[in-house]
Amino acid sequence: MLQSFLRFVLIAFVLHAGSAVAAPRVGEPAPDFTGVDTQGKTHQLADYRGKAVVLEWTNHDCPYVRKHYGAGNLQEQQREAAAQGVIWLSVISSAPGQQGHVSPAEADELTRSRKAAPHAVLLDPEGRIGRAYGAKTTPHMYIIDEAGKLVYMGGIDSLATADPADIPKATQYVRVALKERAAGQPISAPVTRPYGCSVKY
Amino acid sequence: MNLMKAGCFPLFLCLWLLVLLAPPAHGAATVSTPHATVTLLSEQPQAAPGQTLWLGLRFELIPHWHVYWRNPGASGAAPVVRWMLPEGWTAGDLHWPVPQRIPVGPLTNYGYAEAVTLLVPVRIPEGPLPSGPLTLTADAEWLVCQVECIPESGRFTLELPHPGSLTGNPETQRLFAAARAQWPEADRVTGRYRLAGDARTLTLEAPGLAVDDRAEVWFAAYEWGPVDPSGAQSRQPAAAGLALRVPAGDLPPTGAVPLDGLVVVETPNGSAPARRGYAVRLEAQPAATGASETLGLLAALGFAFLGGLILNVMPCVLPVLGIKVLGFVREAGANHRRRVGHGLSYGAGILLSFLALAAALLLLRASGAALGWGFQLQSPVLVALLAYLMLLVGLNLSGVFTVGAGLMGAGQALTAGSGLFNTFATGVLAAVVASPCTAPFMGTALGFALTRPASEALAVFLALGVGFALPVALLSLWPAQVRWLPKPGPWMKRFQQALAFPLYATAAWLLWVLSQQTDARAYGAALAGLVVVALAAWLYGQWPPRGWRLGLLGAAVTVALLLLLRPVAGPDGAAPARADSERLAWSEARVRELTAAGRPVFVNFTAAWCITCQVNERVALATENTQRRFADRAVAYLVADWTRRDPVIARQLERHGRSGVPLYLWYAPGSETPVVLPPLLTEGIVAEVLQSL
Repeated sequence: MLQSFLRFVLIAFVLHAGSAVAAPRVGEPAPDFTGVDTQGKTHQLADYRGKAVVLEWTNHDCPYVRKHYGAGNLQEQQREAAAQGVIWLSVISSAPGQQGHVSPAEADELTRSRKAAPHAVLLDPEGRIGRAYGAKTTPHMYIIDEAGKLVYMGGIDSLATADPADIPKATQYVRVALKERAAGQPISAPVTRPYGCSVKY
Repeated sequence: MNLMKAGCFPLFLCLWLLVLLAPPAHGAATVSTPHATVTLLSEQPQAAPGQTLWLGLRFELIPHWHVYWRNPGASGAAPVVRWMLPEGWTAGDLHWPVPQRIPVGPLTNYGYAEAVTLLVPVRIPEGPLPSGPLTLTADAEWLVCQVECIPESGRFTLELPHPGSLTGNPETQRLFAAARAQWPEADRVTGRYRLAGDARTLTLEAPGLAVDDRAEVWFAAYEWGPVDPSGAQSRQPAAAGLALRVPAGDLPPTGAVPLDGLVVVETPNGSAPARRGYAVRLEAQPAATGASETLGLLAALGFAFLGGLILNVMPCVLPVLGIKVLGFVREAGANHRRRVGHGLSYGAGILLSFLALAAALLLLRASGAALGWGFQLQSPVLVALLAYLMLLVGLNLSGVFTVGAGLMGAGQALTAGSGLFNTFATGVLAAVVASPCTAPFMGTALGFALTRPASEALAVFLALGVGFALPVALLSLWPAQVRWLPKPGPWMKRFQQALAFPLYATAAWLLWVLSQQTDARAYGAALAGLVVVALAAWLYGQWPPRGWRLGLLGAAVTVALLLLLRPVAGPDGAAPARADSERLAWSEARVRELTAAGRPVFVNFTAAWCITCQVNERVALATENTQRRFADRAVAYLVADWTRRDPVIARQLERHGRSGVPLYLWYAPGSETPVVLPPLLTEGIVAEVLQSL
């Protein structure tokens, strides 16, 4: 009798806590979202069930983003992801008037000029997707598995500098995580420090 | 802003490249960028062998731009300095002044605006210095941001001795002094942290850190991960020092890793707040302590309700319940509505008392008194008055006097009348006498209430009251149950008289408690008070007074008791020492000493008025078996006696999520973090814990 009461209390408590709105946690279902890309096409996270999804927060004027695009690091990883059937979505959450805010045409021009290869670039000027994921920096990276579970969040790599020369020395967390997943291994660093400029909400 | 989008890209890039590509060829002490003027300074103009030479990197920023603290917060990057020093010289860590919070939209960074000087101690080895001028070089990288961010860097060189100056530059001396004045306080504060069950919030406690209530207080961790810098932090009520609730970061602390950081206290002071920082090291509070934070509100309410139910069968409540049951028997013939009325008024009496108690507790908590549950019984005067009340009620039940429309006090009116007010008063009395009986579940629920906002604390107390009031209230609301009660008859007189004895027993117990709280003189006076009360009751019974006579009797009793209780109220009716060579008195220092010496330690937090404690001592601790086990394993048995108020013990209880005794702590040899034993002990539980040795 006492035990069943305690179980009831425990369950009620867990349900109560689960309903709270908060930043996502690795191992929990990733927040679903609907976003519009530069072509006006709508993408919903739930549409990609069955595929792994990478989210990349970006702002082309941020020196840390330029470090990685300038050295070709992000483009290379986008191509590797595509080859593995991973959906790579770049997200721009800069508010209108803020650094990094771009029109769809400007975003496409950036993709062209930087030879980037994301599956799509989502425009999130109201910061809805950014806030749902608690995106803090550019770049800030997330990996969602085939079941819609968040499996990685954090930095693009391990050396928090603006110097492109550090890229080869750094552990490329997203690349390593995707590799480990493909090999059926647990992700060795599922949460890391995101570094960069603040997202300009 | 269009400029931002297109034209500014190359401009920014150019500035950036300019900075990157053009460090002064052979270095200078100062590097200027569009946003910052950065200078390498030496406190002393020359170096001496064996000396600690302080160097400083001073950033002067253009308005609205900032550089970052060691943990930059939600984004950004701390300055990094690489030193190139003469052979054998070693540079220590950068010393960071207390930072400010810098909001960026919904995010928060930690850093410095306008100007900051980062100092670093450089150790110069003994032995002759190399001949000729010495060159010190620093390569620094820093990120400077307004909303946009620009990474900058520079190479700085200094020559020692400074050509042409043998005494320190007064301006440099001033900058170094100013930088040191902005360091966190020299002494590191220690405390604890607890991660909530859902890993979303952390509760930080620094009992040794007294902070003005009006000050704004925030915590910043030294490293990224454990704490989310952007989330709201809130002060929590604390028995001592500071308690803060902060949102957990992406990597909440796990295991027994200490959390290092800075508590920053901002006191309003004109336009710019005065900012003081305290370096803190917070140790993990082990999950096994039944941390009150992990107990959700719902669970706490559940426990409180259960605790209330159990209170009904505690020895200090049963006598009053007996009175209540007797009341039902008397009223069984009365109509249903009347019964319902009684049930409700009894419940209302209990609930109101619990709420009043909670309100009083909250008020006292707010006024900073380190109090816990059962504190009423830590006042000797109140214990004496309760003993008198029990005696009076007992005498009434014994038939020494009966109360008509007597006004002598609620205690007498309680049992005699049958009106709704009497039932209400019974509820109040039940609540008052229940307070010392910290039933097993109550400790944790109340610990929870003590550390929570007032509304939640009140809810917990209310749940406690509901649980307590429910059985009797149900009896009155459910006529079918009343059928189970015996029929009225002449036995009732005997039953009533028999009920007097639990009350005498309660009075005797209260007097025993009093004997633990006061010296012999005060105790004697309190015993004399019993005679006065009994005499007054007898007089009242023989010649029921009316009008002024009643007033006279009341006044005479009051004056007599006031005189008698004066020594009892004395501030230090020295509590008799209860510790002897085998039961050492507890202190935190003693625990540290013993654990450091590798001794296993058992701490018994107890009080004379705590029945659960006494029972545990009888059945589990003072037994031959347990004593032998303690002796075999050289266990140091410490007693923390809370019979009288003791803020140190109250704090220790709260630290373990309890607001009352009993509390049993077990320190395995060499371990500084105790295991908390359940509040109801058996020999078996104690033996099991000792087995783990």
